[in-house]
Amino acid sequence: MTTYRVLSPLVGTPGEIYNPEILVNLNALISGGFIEAVTDEPTPADEKPAKTKSKKTDQE
Amino acid sequence: MATSSYLSNPVLKVNSVDLTGWCTAANLNRVVEAQEDTVFGATGNARTYTAGLENNELTCTLFMSYAASEVYATLAPLVGTKTTVRVQPTSAADSATNPGFILTNTYLETLPVLNATLGELSTIELTFTGGSYTVDTTA
Repeated sequence: MTTYRVLSPLVGTPGEIYNPEILVNLNALISGGFIEAVTDEPTPADEKPAKTKSKKTDQE
Repeated sequence: MATSSYLSNPVLKVNSVDLTGWCTAANLNRVVEAQEDTVFGATGNARTYTAGLENNELTCTLFMSYAASEVYATLAPLVGTKTTVRVQPTSAADSATNPGFILTNTYLETLPVLNATLGELSTIELTFTGGSYTVDTTA
C-alpha cells in the first residue's frame, strides 16, 4: 500500500502523512517536491510463512 | 456606505498547494450559460433565457517563483490537465461567513513560463477554465 508524506508546508505539516484530497493530481505534487510516496515494505514478521499445524491422524 | 465589507486577503490553493503567499489577485466567476428559450407568443415582448451548462472560470495573478516546491513547481505539471482550485475570502476556517469556493476538474490551458520586465517583479496571470463549482462551509 502506498501512502504519502508531506515535504512542503504549502500542502500540510512536513513529516506528516498526506491525505490526498479528491481529484488532486498526486504525480504533480510528487514531481514538484511537495510530497513523497512511502511504500510500506513488509516486515520480516510479515514475510514468515504461516505456520501450519501438522495433523496427526489417529491410526488406532 | 456598505454595512459590511472586508479587505481582500483571500486564500488560494491550486492542486491543494497553498499559493496564497504569491497571489495578488483572484477572481472566481460562477457562470451558467444562458440559453434562449423565447417563443412566439411570449408575454412582454422580451427575450427569455434558461440555464445551460456551467462554464466557471478562475483568474489569478501570482508573483513568479522558480524556487524548489513553489509556484513554477506547482503549476508546470498541471498545464494541459484538469485540477482542483480553491479560493476563500480569508484564512479562517470554512464557515458560512468564510466559504471555500472550489472548482474541481478545472482546466489549466496556459502557463506563462517567463514574464519578465526590466526592473519589475515577475508576475504571471493564470486562467482556470470550466470545472464543477462547489461551496464548502463546514470546517
